[in-house]
Amino acid sequence: MLTLGPLGFVNPWLLFALAGLPILWWLLRVTPPAPKRLSFPAIRLLFGLQPPEETPARTPWWLIALRMLLAALVIIGLARPILNPSAQLAGGGPVVVVVDNGWAAAANWAARERLLGELLDQAERDRRAVVLATTAPDGREAAETRLSALPPAEARRIAQSIQPRPWAVDRPLAAERLRALTLEEPATVVWLSDGLESGAEPEAAEFAQALADLGSVQIYRDVPDDLPRLLLPPEIDTASLILRAGRVATETPDSLTVQASDDRGRLVTQQTLDFEPEAAETAQALTLPIELRNRITRLDIEGEAGAGAVLFLDERWRRRPVGLVSAGPLESAQPLLSELYYLERALTPFTEISRGDIGQLMDRGVAVIALPDLGPLPPEQATALERWVEAGGLLLRFAGPRLAESDDGLLPVELRRGGRIMGGALTWSDPAELAPFTHDSPFAGLMLPEDVAVSRQVLAEPALDLPEKTWAQLTDGTPLVTAEPRGQGWLALVHTTANTEWSDLPLSGLFVEMLRRIVAVSQGVSGTSEAALPPLSTLDGFGRLGNPPATALALTAEAIEAGEVGPRHPPGIYGTDAGRRAHNLVAGVPVLTPIGSLPGTLESRVYAGSDEQDLLPWLLTAALVVALLDALIALALRGHLSLRPGGLRQAARGGGTAGTARGGGTAGGVGTAAVVLLSALLLASPAAQAQSGDDDDLRRILAATLETRLAYVVTGVPQVDDISRSGLSGLSRLLLRRTAVEPSDPMAVELGRDELAFFPLLYWPITAEQTSLDSAARRALNEYLTNGGTLLIDLREPTAGTRLFGEASRNSQALQRLTDGIQIPQLVPVPPEHVLTKAFYLLQDFPGRYEGGTLWVENPDEADNDGVASVVIGSNDWAGAWAIDDLGRPRAAVVPGGERQREMAYRFGVNLVMYALTGNYKADQVHVPYILERLGQ
Amino acid sequence: MELRSVLPPDLPLQQRSEALAATLPPLLVAAERVASSVAQGVHGRRRVGQGEAFWQFRPYEPGDTPQTIDWRQTAKSDRVFVRQMEWEAAQSVWLWRDSSASMDWSSDRNLETKRARADLLLLGLAVLAIQAGERVALAGTGRRPDASRATLTRLTLEIERGKEAVRLPDEDGLAPRQELPRFGQLVWFGDFLQPLEVIEARVRYFAERGLRGHILQILDPAEEGLPFQGRVRFEGLEGEDPWLLSRVETVRGAYLERLAQQRDGLIEIARRAGWTAGVHHTDSTPQSALLGLYQTLAVQPGRR
Repeated sequence: MLTLGPLGFVNPWLLFALAGLPILWWLLRVTPPAPKRLSFPAIRLLFGLQPPEETPARTPWWLIALRMLLAALVIIGLARPILNPSAQLAGGGPVVVVVDNGWAAAANWAARERLLGELLDQAERDRRAVVLATTAPDGREAAETRLSALPPAEARRIAQSIQPRPWAVDRPLAAERLRALTLEEPATVVWLSDGLESGAEPEAAEFAQALADLGSVQIYRDVPDDLPRLLLPPEIDTASLILRAGRVATETPDSLTVQASDDRGRLVTQQTLDFEPEAAETAQALTLPIELRNRITRLDIEGEAGAGAVLFLDERWRRRPVGLVSAGPLESAQPLLSELYYLERALTPFTEISRGDIGQLMDRGVAVIALPDLGPLPPEQATALERWVEAGGLLLRFAGPRLAESDDGLLPVELRRGGRIMGGALTWSDPAELAPFTHDSPFAGLMLPEDVAVSRQVLAEPALDLPEKTWAQLTDGTPLVTAEPRGQGWLALVHTTANTEWSDLPLSGLFVEMLRRIVAVSQGVSGTSEAALPPLSTLDGFGRLGNPPATALALTAEAIEAGEVGPRHPPGIYGTDAGRRAHNLVAGVPVLTPIGSLPGTLESRVYAGSDEQDLLPWLLTAALVVALLDALIALALRGHLSLRPGGLRQAARGGGTAGTARGGGTAGGVGTAAVVLLSALLLASPAAQAQSGDDDDLRRILAATLETRLAYVVTGVPQVDDISRSGLSGLSRLLLRRTAVEPSDPMAVELGRDELAFFPLLYWPITAEQTSLDSAARRALNEYLTNGGTLLIDLREPTAGTRLFGEASRNSQALQRLTDGIQIPQLVPVPPEHVLTKAFYLLQDFPGRYEGGTLWVENPDEADNDGVASVVIGSNDWAGAWAIDDLGRPRAAVVPGGERQREMAYRFGVNLVMYALTGNYKADQVHVPYILERLGQ
Repeated sequence: MELRSVLPPDLPLQQRSEALAATLPPLLVAAERVASSVAQGVHGRRRVGQGEAFWQFRPYEPGDTPQTIDWRQTAKSDRVFVRQMEWEAAQSVWLWRDSSASMDWSSDRNLETKRARADLLLLGLAVLAIQAGERVALAGTGRRPDASRATLTRLTLEIERGKEAVRLPDEDGLAPRQELPRFGQLVWFGDFLQPLEVIEARVRYFAERGLRGHILQILDPAEEGLPFQGRVRFEGLEGEDPWLLSRVETVRGAYLERLAQQRDGLIEIARRAGWTAGVHHTDSTPQSALLGLYQTLAVQPGRR
């Protein structure tokens, strides 16, 4: 393959044919153009005439250029140029593909997968063996994962199962496995790297060296902007969560959006983090109400895949469980005076409280232990508590009479013996008030209520560092809250009691706020329990939470702290539902470092942003277009193409004369016109069709509504539909002649497609051939019946049966099938006094083309519409009796016969139409005398 | 007058030709000789002769048969009058147009073909003649001349049926030789590009049989001017060999000369036979051609 910049040629030797273009030029130049062909009646007069000098006409230069372009396009196209050719395997021998499938590869995994597929395609084409190696450990023993050369087809199967892992790659281990590989000949090695050093120390160069030992090496790297970014553990500030993220330092600024969501996956908030140029890390405070903040369990980099873009937060970032050391039965005697009561009431709004003795509380992994004035602690408890504080706990102590008397060393400041009483009966000073909080105090910004007074306190011995340890003080400068960091934890002392004995403070809202701030200061202790935490759910390589894989093992809290992330401990959530611990990838990942300088023998490439693109079809299409253009020009030059509009019009109209003497010219015109017409059709046809469809519907609706019309259901059997149409025509004509009803020509309706509401009467001949109704048709018919339409169902067969359904004839079976899902009410044979018998004519029976069939109507006693039947079912083939041809002659003979039967059939039709139009009007008793009178005659 | 406004091309040929002829009075074809072969017609010749219309009373002269005496007129005076009828005779006109392939050609789509123009003129002439009571037939069909109104429809059908031209019988691209009554009129429409000898032979054939005739050569403007350029391969329409010209414009002069020779020869042939000849181009209006025909064929005052 020849490569020119972004272009590669599969068959470069074909490009030599381009050298032949000048010859083509010369050839085209000397060949005169084809003459214009012209038919001419007076040709006899031309015979023998010769122009005085024969200067050969030349093909115009631009036509030659066009044809050269055509030839060049075909030649270049056949050379198979490929844009962005990727994955080109050089040399021979086996192919070793090394894939970095650590967490960092997930961000741009699609490119890797594509490249891998292309490499395997190529190896398959070249029939080269493939060694597939992944650098991320998968937890299996080295013996199980010995590398070997595979046929490409098998390698492809394995390659399809390669997924990024949510942990870091281990290149030294992979290098070891590769060294164990023995190949007969030098291989072509392709390393699909993730672009990052995997450990704290640079090892990529060493790994590259190991690869170079196998053969020539190509390394693929991400462009710097595509390198993954890593979400760092946020820091807890007093008032906010400080989100942090890291990246490989580049010159370009960058920004990412962090999504914070709760344990149900609902988005809590979003925050954008901006990287300064050259900066590898960024931080941004996320200020949220503490309740909301505590709901956050997961942080994501928006739009980025991979375990590095996901961070779980657990109790360490969240709730601060507070333990209250209960003193024993004494408090329970006077619960409302107990210090624990006040503390509990103040802490409940924002934290979780547990009670117990010191040992129990420490075991529960609380973050804060509030210790009321219980007097000095026993030494062993003091020691344990001190260790706990140094491990990160916060011990909040309250002063009181007992503390004032003794010291156990677990205090932030030295205390003077005895307390200080202000405003007592024997003192002349007033109870002291709180001084405003200083800026560096955790309480900074809290509002001071005016009615808080401290009447007794313990005093600290003056010391140089006393102001630094002071978080709050009284107006006279004596400290009220002091604190001292010890180890990773804090010792805090409130120099007064937690109940109202010494001050009003516990009664004020300030007390709650102060406790909240103090709790927020605490870091939480990473549970001292040694119990193993089983994996609850873990991340996959793309940062999706799922069930833990079989290889995942339980791990201890210490392992979490140490950041042991690997196949045995994938990142995710560990522990139980009660106590979840987040195990984050970031704990085990050092600073992101891009792979630095590599041995010079390596060929370095970048993952292609876009697919390789075969230009062959494009070039050949262009060549075809040029060829068509050339053909048009040739036609025009030979006079077969007229572009005059008049010519076009004429050609379009008189295309049929193309065979005559003018054929050549007309054919060209016809061709052009056809192209124009075709394009116009292509452009306009959907709109035109829609337009005409609308118009048709509108016309149909207008036709159906502007005049009264009878309608029949189209069965799809042409003869039956024809009889229906002419039958209703005959009936309409008769109605026009004899009655006040002046119906127009009947219309055909297709159930489910045409609106039925316009028609008072619907005639439905039943045929066995009709397909069952679909749901739209059933719905339409049901609506029609419930809204007052009249449906005449005609079985069209001579039966004298007394049962309607369940008979074995084909049509009644079809009736059953067709009316399935239609709400046909209870039917009865027409009662003698039914309106149908007297709606216009007085009738006793209802013959059609056949006689004697029973006519069934809806039971008038139960019908809804004032007793007017909506369904009339019979079998006498009325349309057959009504049907007339264009001359008005009946089309079908009536059985058994006689014009009287036909007349009666017509009379039934008239009655039925009257019934459909007037309902039970004739049932009124008003007419009974007249009817009786006529009956009497 | 703009042709299209008067003669919409969509109309049937008969209607167009009637519209065309409507502007001219009925054509009485000049009949030079009275002969028994000339059938009696309905329009008088403004002279005494056989006929049914009254022409004049004339005093009785010896030799007049008693049957001719008009007794009523005689009774009005002392003299005996003879009743004379007007001489009524109809001329027979044999029409013919060339239906060869070379006629079915026009150089431009906006122009009629020569054949279409010939059809139009032929029928226009027929309309005029029939209006005048002359008897008309197509040469070569073997039908007898007739002057009834239905003749026109029949003629139309004989030359054009369903928008398709009907090929008339011909011989060497000329009216076929046939025995025609003497003193008839022949009118030929065609392009007459055949060798002059052939035409002359045919004209002489008819002239010897006492027929008079008129030849209308219908040409396309392109045939008249040869307005082509460059390398052109000319192809004949009647099986002639093609002729390739590398530069048409260089032979235009020679061609025009040949065309003029052909035309002059044609006129000369006609003159020698006592016939007349004319030229018509399809880009000029048919009215002018019809007027020319009318003037040539009509009874010239003072020319008996």
